[in-house]
Amino acid sequence: MDAIEVEGLVKRYGKRIEALRGVDLSVRKGEVFGLVGPNGAGKTTLIKALVGTLRPSGGRARVLGLDPLRDRPELRRTIGYMPQSLALYDDLSAKDNVEFFGAAHGVPDLRSRVREILELTELTPRAGDQIHTFSGGMRRRVSLACALVHRPEVLFLDEPTAAVDPQLRSQLWKTFRELARGGATLFISTHLMDEAMLCDRVAVLRHGRIIASDEPRRILERGRVRLLIRRGEREEERVIGGRPEDLAEALRSYGLTRDVTAVDVRTDSLETVVLSIIEEER
Amino acid sequence: MRRTALVGRRVVRQLLHNPRFLVLSIVAPLVIVYFLKIFFDTLPPMVDADRYVVPVAAFIVHFLAFILCAIALVQERTAGTMERMFINGFRRIEIIGGYLLGFLGLATFQAVVGLAEAIWLFELDYEAGVLATLFAVVWLLAIASVMLGIFVSTFARRESQVFPFIPLIAFPSVFLSGLLMDPEELPGWAELLGQAFPVFYANEVIQEMIEPGGTLGDVWVNFAVLACYGVALLLLASLTLREAE
Repeated sequence: MDAIEVEGLVKRYGKRIEALRGVDLSVRKGEVFGLVGPNGAGKTTLIKALVGTLRPSGGRARVLGLDPLRDRPELRRTIGYMPQSLALYDDLSAKDNVEFFGAAHGVPDLRSRVREILELTELTPRAGDQIHTFSGGMRRRVSLACALVHRPEVLFLDEPTAAVDPQLRSQLWKTFRELARGGATLFISTHLMDEAMLCDRVAVLRHGRIIASDEPRRILERGRVRLLIRRGEREEERVIGGRPEDLAEALRSYGLTRDVTAVDVRTDSLETVVLSIIEEER
Repeated sequence: MRRTALVGRRVVRQLLHNPRFLVLSIVAPLVIVYFLKIFFDTLPPMVDADRYVVPVAAFIVHFLAFILCAIALVQERTAGTMERMFINGFRRIEIIGGYLLGFLGLATFQAVVGLAEAIWLFELDYEAGVLATLFAVVWLLAIASVMLGIFVSTFARRESQVFPFIPLIAFPSVFLSGLLMDPEELPGWAELLGQAFPVFYANEVIQEMIEPGGTLGDVWVNFAVLACYGVALLLLASLTLREAE
């Protein structure tokens, strides 16, 4: 059984707005899955449907085999959710916030678990301070800690690294990887293509539809590679396919001899590939 | 029950971390009751202030408890913590019950200081039994007000959507609930409308109790209705609180 299964999920608001137009995807257990797409693509809507705070207009969603709405009570014990809005009590301390959500689940030995999770998210020195004194990056870590405290099997993180500096971003990704190694499934939304490269698999969401879903490497292969070969003064450029086999073939056909003085391979970025997929769709 | 207590404890802790909010919500009724005093001092002496003082003090407690609770809950929605509570397994009745518990302390305190100040400033001379009943009825009204705040907040997604409800609750309470006159003199429909507001029942009890020789026996129905009013709103609010959109 996959951790998350979605089939033909549709969400309409009134008659005119269709936030999700038939989304299909599946996420394996223990995977770090990236949901990539521009603002307004429907990422948050999809996540809310999966955590059971949004009633879909059609289609089917399962998380650990459970229906997010009908099986709410069981599901909520096993999922963690970090919303985009962070959803913290500003007038409580970091520790109080984490403790409140931990106590909701009746986490055994709560105090030591809260200490452990504050340590993991590097909040220990500020644990007793109220949230309204925290920077944006620290708030994000508190929100993550609240989502982790009950050791969920599936974690939904809605743009966890939006507006975060590069250093904290790499720290957060280190934490995400650690969690996945511990057996958790992570479902992470982002509008940053370079972050998608850090996921095991990604789905690209646009206008409420998945336009590509694969390992990021495989999506890159759908792009083009420009091969530059210099022989003495002469420079040749050729556009080849994105698969490693394409490169090997091209190099063979050139015949790498002594007069070749430089070879350069320029790969499309994931962003360019995705944009060209979007172009093709039109 | 455990999670209800959890929400209640958290709400209290938040209140305690907001001394400015806390002081304001205690000082506000004190100041307003004082305004009431200086207002009545300007009126000719034949106006019977006694008939108005306790009901108006009760109304002030009602109004403040209602607004404070409604806004606190809507903030919970706008901050996203309401959604987060649901995802962490809190049930609707647990959240509402927790809020009631959390605000109960504040509402009790407001009822005590509001009433005590009114009695002291206006030199009201009631027997201990009457005082106890007056306090009980203001306290019940405060609970109903907290519940009304919770109920109203379930219809609002943002703070700005709470504001239109405030005059809708406050003005009929002032003009139709018998606070200023005998509700029986109103047109029939207006009298009925007045009975939709909890202040009506509190006022009925208060008017009877401050009459010489007044007994609870004659108005116990109003007392009971006020208690049921809170319970009914608790149940209603647990139906209208949206868990999934």
